[in-house]
Amino acid sequence: METQETNQVSGSYRTGGNRLSHAFGRMFLPRRDTISIGSLAKNALLSEYFVLYLSIAYMIVLWPIIPWMFGAQNVSDILSNMWPLLIIAIGQTFVLITAGIDLSQTSVMALTSVVGAMLMVGHVDPLLFSKSPVWGILLTEEGGLLSGYSLSFIFAIVAMLAIGALVGLFNGIAVAVFRMPAFIVTLVSMMFFSAIAVYLPKSENIQGLPEAYTSISSGSLLGIPYPLLLAVAVGVAAHILLSRTLYGRRLYAIGINPTASAISGIPTKRIVVLAYVISALCATLGAVLYSSRLEMGRPTLGDMQFIDIVGANVIAGVSLAGGKGKITWTLFGVFFFVLLANSLNLLNLPFYMIDIVKGAVILAAALLDVARNRAAIQSR
Amino acid sequence: MNTLQVWVVRTLLKNTTIILFLLLFVGFGLLAPNFLSLRNLEIIISNASYIGIIAVGMTFVLLTGGIDLSVGSVMYVSAVVVGLLIENYDFSIAAALMVGFLAGLAFGLFNAVVITLLGIPPFIATLVTMIAGRGVGLLLTRSAAVDFPDELTMLSAVRVFGIQLNIFIFALVVLAATVFLMLTASGRRLYAVGNDPEAARKAGINATALIAMTYVISGGCAALAGFVSISQLGRVNAGFGMGDEFDAIAAAVLGGASLFGGVGTAFPGTVLGTIMIQMVQAGLVFIRVDLYIQPIVMGGIIFFAVFLDSFRRVQLKKLERRNIMRLSDS
Amino acid sequence: MTNTLFSFSGICKAFFGVQVLDGIDLELHSGRVLGLIGENGAGKSTLMNVMGGVLRPERGTMRMEGRLYEPKGPADASASGIGFIHQELNLFTNLTIAENIFIEDFPRLGWLPFIHHRRMADRARELLADIGLAASPWTPVERLSPGERQLVEIAKVLASDARIILFDEPTTSLTAKETAVLFDVIRRLKARGVAIVYISHILSDVVALSDDIAVLRDGALVATGRVEDFPIPRMISSMVGRDVKSIFPPPPQSVREAAILEVRGLSQPGVARNIDLAVHSGEIVGMFGLMGAGRTELVRMIYGLDPYAEGGVTIAGKPLPGGDPAASIVGGLAFVTENRREEGLLMSMPIAENIGLVALPGYARPYSGIIDQKRLYDAATGIATDLRIKAASYLRQSAKSLSGGNQQKVVIGKWLMARPKVLIVDEPTRGIDVGAKFEVYTILGNLAEAGSGILFISSELEELMGVAHRIVVMNRGEIVGSFQRSEFDRERIMAAAFRQSTEETAA
Repeated sequence: METQETNQVSGSYRTGGNRLSHAFGRMFLPRRDTISIGSLAKNALLSEYFVLYLSIAYMIVLWPIIPWMFGAQNVSDILSNMWPLLIIAIGQTFVLITAGIDLSQTSVMALTSVVGAMLMVGHVDPLLFSKSPVWGILLTEEGGLLSGYSLSFIFAIVAMLAIGALVGLFNGIAVAVFRMPAFIVTLVSMMFFSAIAVYLPKSENIQGLPEAYTSISSGSLLGIPYPLLLAVAVGVAAHILLSRTLYGRRLYAIGINPTASAISGIPTKRIVVLAYVISALCATLGAVLYSSRLEMGRPTLGDMQFIDIVGANVIAGVSLAGGKGKITWTLFGVFFFVLLANSLNLLNLPFYMIDIVKGAVILAAALLDVARNRAAIQSR
Repeated sequence: MNTLQVWVVRTLLKNTTIILFLLLFVGFGLLAPNFLSLRNLEIIISNASYIGIIAVGMTFVLLTGGIDLSVGSVMYVSAVVVGLLIENYDFSIAAALMVGFLAGLAFGLFNAVVITLLGIPPFIATLVTMIAGRGVGLLLTRSAAVDFPDELTMLSAVRVFGIQLNIFIFALVVLAATVFLMLTASGRRLYAVGNDPEAARKAGINATALIAMTYVISGGCAALAGFVSISQLGRVNAGFGMGDEFDAIAAAVLGGASLFGGVGTAFPGTVLGTIMIQMVQAGLVFIRVDLYIQPIVMGGIIFFAVFLDSFRRVQLKKLERRNIMRLSDS
Repeated sequence: MTNTLFSFSGICKAFFGVQVLDGIDLELHSGRVLGLIGENGAGKSTLMNVMGGVLRPERGTMRMEGRLYEPKGPADASASGIGFIHQELNLFTNLTIAENIFIEDFPRLGWLPFIHHRRMADRARELLADIGLAASPWTPVERLSPGERQLVEIAKVLASDARIILFDEPTTSLTAKETAVLFDVIRRLKARGVAIVYISHILSDVVALSDDIAVLRDGALVATGRVEDFPIPRMISSMVGRDVKSIFPPPPQSVREAAILEVRGLSQPGVARNIDLAVHSGEIVGMFGLMGAGRTELVRMIYGLDPYAEGGVTIAGKPLPGGDPAASIVGGLAFVTENRREEGLLMSMPIAENIGLVALPGYARPYSGIIDQKRLYDAATGIATDLRIKAASYLRQSAKSLSGGNQQKVVIGKWLMARPKVLIVDEPTRGIDVGAKFEVYTILGNLAEAGSGILFISSELEELMGVAHRIVVMNRGEIVGSFQRSEFDRERIMAAAFRQSTEETAA
């Protein structure tokens, strides 16, 4: 009983009247007094697990149409697309809970992938890179600054995380301390840091990364791929941070009412700044996974991914107005989004049709959220 | 602080846009003397005109506290509609432009309906239109480039009263927007809605209709901007207009429009903001800065302007805070 | 008798099965002021919303000059000559005075869509002269003081040729001087034949202005009559439904020698000068002053929300760093703000989460920051039970579903959970009903008895005289008087609060 109630309090406010059990085994049970198809559908729709149900239903529908979707190769494709997006979307969730938004995640991905690659790359073609502003400093014909060291990839990742953290710090300070609108701040940092990511290698992809680095995306521990391990680690840490710790409680409080939070002694600036840092760090980890899979540092990494990141969060039910969101929701949202994109690909839809469907799904999710809020108000 | 100092600080803070504009103008002029030539200014304004037209539409949306991320895609779809009608269905240029313009209005109307009637936040609604809208455009073209006849591209060389046609259209849009915003009842009510939507509804203002209208206007402006742009380029590819929404938002914000609604002007605000962006780009070329550095500098300037704006808001609030004691007391 | 301008007959309205208006019969007469009083939730605002076309009654009729009046929306009300002055101002700060006045019906240039600016300005100038506001019609409203804004609201109503004007708590944000101007305007409107409904919790104002009194209780009209027949005690007893001999619990006999909160020489240019203030353990110190005297500004500085230039604050002998609410909380200070909705509550969060918010660090494990939820909810539930917050579930029900009085108790509860040595409460009983007020006084009294010091800010002198051991008076950023309970005297305290303002008017 106790855990049930604490779960309730730690985040599922979006369906005020919905008293569905939170224990997995009882997920499909409607309220005791109302057992009918209609109420079952309604409860499923209002449930915080709705997106998960939807994903499962979607898979059941697809099974006879494209059975090869569930083949080992494709499942592994789906998952390897999912882990980095999940990590990045989790970072975005933190910022969305503060009622902010982080448009700069994609530029963090590009910048860190470029800088990391420049540090550890083996040999580069001087024809391509001699015009780079860091030619002769960071980058020479013999490769990056750390080229040749056996642990270069670790130092490179540390450097990438440091750069990500700095960008996050910059965003966070501008938003929390100087009270600038998050949308514009992160829009400008998106433009600014993307431009730097393009400027440093003068638009060239940096290929020839050490094998130790590229094996991050392909290697595994006890049969569990590293990306999965990383995503689970980030997900569990984020879940605990949001639902169980002082920091998480305060983050929700700030998202709901920043003034009351400040008066209640919450160090609002520090907490908001940290949310942007977390967002940028998650983007960096995503960049590590992507660039190790691509085996290159790419100045346009993450271009157009913003839609996937925010789309997954909207589908998950994380509110742009702040104070509402959970890591499990984000997980379901990302899962559904990746599933959708993959299935449409397998159905041989052209990419623009996929975009149209993605848009329609995000719109439907937003509509569902509006309907849910109305239902919550009515059942009060 | 004495009264004079307060006045000076207040005046400076209330006119950040124009001061920044003049500083940049004089700055580039000193660094590159021929930057200030009339011909060069014309080029700057001409290049600014299509983003400027979008930015004017964006200003309407920002005034209500909303945002329109779909303008780049709407621009693309409208241009594609015009091109395909001329190429495949033998439409006259005028008729094709008319239908393309209607397409822009239709996208705006779609945004308006989703936002005002269905209650979806503008950010999400227009993000969806941005993704799906471009998808529709690509569907129409099968992602191929669309070419336009010479009659259309020749329009860019036309001069009206000695002014380039695109600048003339930009000026007309700005004039119409300014007259509407400053002199008509609906225009003033738009400011009221942006200031306090709840109070506006209580005052019997049809806030829903006004908000809906701004998205339709924004869609129409985007279509118009698309036409101006195709007359200059003669060809539309899959990336046409992509990212222009951010330039338009930056221009409006640089011109003093607030993302919180209720503050902003088409003229002088957004016009100055748009020209400022173009001026910096041209100025950097004049002083021979690496092309790669341009967007970095641009980002820095927009950041600085937004920073000043937030700083100004905080400072003005302090200055206008009511003194409890008489000034002579303290 | 003057002629009847407007009449309600048998008006009924229910929300979700709860009868909020039950057969109201009431008449308004031109040239007379009706004082409408009642506890919160008695149905005053519902009645006004019915009249204003915001709500439709389920039964009953309204007549304006004998003709049936059935408004379909607020626009119909203003077209019929009914104007409202709401408690919260409905002005657009980014527009000018003239634009605000005519926002609903701009004068047009013939059939063109353009505003006739000259006509608008001329008419605005007349109206401003009428209400005695010396400002250009082109002044942006953001430059006006709250009192001046209230006058603009009245000008707006006058511009629509209103023959009935309803004032809903119009003086809550006004200074004494501005209130005097407002009353003057109301009297002139009345002399001109306008019918006025004046709703206020400040009964002395109601007495001063009204010709007739109507008392609402639980949706029914329980008493009406001429103002002469309604001395204030009768007003209160009809509102509450029982004779209230003492609505204040006596202050506890608990004042100790040791000063627990000490403020020394606190100054901030333009806001406060040389404030010395002490609150002792077990003491309730009332802080009285007119609106705008600087009380809230002072306690915000003491608590650390706003900076100050000179002086210092100590709690139980230990100095507070200033400018840091978290440090103030650790030091033992608590601050129940004036505005519970904007500054106090997390509306969508459950009651227990709200109550736990301030004391949260005490329930987190060191280093990991993991919250001990069971201990937290037990403590929060304990406080909620002690304060008798009425709710079905403290863990599930959100703060926004509570009544005003219970919301206020949640705010107080969140500070109690941090076990403060000193509690600053700013207008804790504003907007809550008499029963809840009594509970708040009792809670504060019990706290004092247990040894805390309490600084109680209020604009209602009766309240402070009822519950405080001592009253200090603020005026224009300075403390101008201090009265022990034995010296409490309404006139002397008021005189201190008004001193400089009256000097100013004389000068």
